[in-house]
Amino acid sequence: MSRALPSFEPVGELKFGQVGIANLRLKSLDDDLLAQELRQKLETAPQLFQRAPVVLDLSHLPQLPDAERVRAVLATVRASGMLPVGLAYGTSENEALARALDLPLFAKFRAAYESTAAAPEAAAVVANVAAAPPRATPPPPSAARGAAGMLQALPVRSGQQVYARGSDLVITAVVGHGAEVIADGSVHVYAALRGKAIAGAQGDTSARIFCQDFQAELVSVAGHYRVLEDIPADLRGKPVQVWLEGEKLLLARLGP
Amino acid sequence: MTEFIVITSGKGGVGKTTSSASIAVGLAKHGKKVAVIDFDVGLRNLDLIMGCERRVVYDFVNVIHQECTLKQALIKDKRYENLHVLAASQTRDKDALTKEGVERVLNELKDEGFDYVLCDSPAGIEKGAFLAMYFADRAIVVVNPEVSSVRDSDRILGLLSSKTRRAETGATPVMQHLLLTRYNPARVVAGDMMSIDDVKEILGIEVLGVIPESEGVLAASNSGVPVILDEASNAGLAYDDAVARLLGQTRAMRFLDAPKKGILSRLFGS
Repeated sequence: MSRALPSFEPVGELKFGQVGIANLRLKSLDDDLLAQELRQKLETAPQLFQRAPVVLDLSHLPQLPDAERVRAVLATVRASGMLPVGLAYGTSENEALARALDLPLFAKFRAAYESTAAAPEAAAVVANVAAAPPRATPPPPSAARGAAGMLQALPVRSGQQVYARGSDLVITAVVGHGAEVIADGSVHVYAALRGKAIAGAQGDTSARIFCQDFQAELVSVAGHYRVLEDIPADLRGKPVQVWLEGEKLLLARLGP
Repeated sequence: MTEFIVITSGKGGVGKTTSSASIAVGLAKHGKKVAVIDFDVGLRNLDLIMGCERRVVYDFVNVIHQECTLKQALIKDKRYENLHVLAASQTRDKDALTKEGVERVLNELKDEGFDYVLCDSPAGIEKGAFLAMYFADRAIVVVNPEVSSVRDSDRILGLLSSKTRRAETGATPVMQHLLLTRYNPARVVAGDMMSIDDVKEILGIEVLGVIPESEGVLAASNSGVPVILDEASNAGLAYDDAVARLLGQTRAMRFLDAPKKGILSRLFGS
């Protein structure tokens, strides 16, 4: 009876944006070990990894496995509780593989892949270092951090959030009031910090916050936070670091 | 080449429409072909400030819904024939705007050979404001020297660098300028108001102009004559400077210092 009003909006709105997606880089094909490692990861932070989308990066395997083999790996990842959503970009064989599996390729990882292709030896060194810690002990959260931090060179404005997953966050511009900068590692701000800074977002108690001009609204390390309703006069506008000592969150001036 | 300029702020009542009207007239004075569009559907004001409120027959929403042609809806300014106003609809709301419709109107203005199209944004960060900024090449962020306006502008600057067509397609970012309005040097000296340096430091972008607080602004708005045409008011002169800077000229900043009260002005008042 009631006729639908003509709509001036499209049914679906297609948007591109950056999303945080975990990248699982395989260094060898061992389903049992992988299952065990993933289980440990999930136990450390179930709310973060449970049903988290993950991209499978096969570029660091000595040779590309066939579709059947990758299907088994995907099943292992899925059984762990994470959800594999695609493959990381690679060579044309990789693309054929993704086609065979009917999975999307994520181009974001292209640069990383190509740089390793250009300098395979350097990549091998990095891989060895990363593999160095003995497998028997559960890896501390900091071991999961990437070698280089994430760099943010543009101002972080009010209402914006920047999250460096699994690494440090280095910011070379202003963090405005009402902005949030978050890192699983440490947060470094080489400018005024006026918003909220959260370091060790996954519980790394060794993470710290450093900034050049301290005016933060809130600082937090590994869940221990402090709201700064009044910034202490000796810290305001000064270079400051924030760290955790036991259960206590400490703030102090940096340098002389 | 048509340039789309959004005049925006986040916060309401800071002087977006006053600034849109004056900048539009200023650009027209320099011989540019200019259109100024009121995106504040439902709360239209630009027509009043421009002094053409009794000549609005068709509006922006009519053009978007193809109920009239763009030519029918463009109101030619009485003072400058190269200046046109596209009024907002007073009887509709922001949902009457669509991205495709706005894009079509802007493209049509481009085809008509306009040099500048100014988009007068509504306050807030909802649909009207979003569509006003989406297609912009340049943004003029109007800010008052007070904390809430500065914070809202910071938010808008963030959206300009993430939610515009230029940001989404990875083109060169939207060029951003600050326009400080209602600046009162005497109150800055007294510490009641933030200084231009405070604002610049927090927002970190270049200042296009500083418009001093002036009685001329209110009088101009009420009489439908954009304040830039009032050469006796400091605000008018400051807008004139800002437009010149927008066109690439260098002009020194004026009206930044509190006037020293001399003996004569003490006696006769200023």
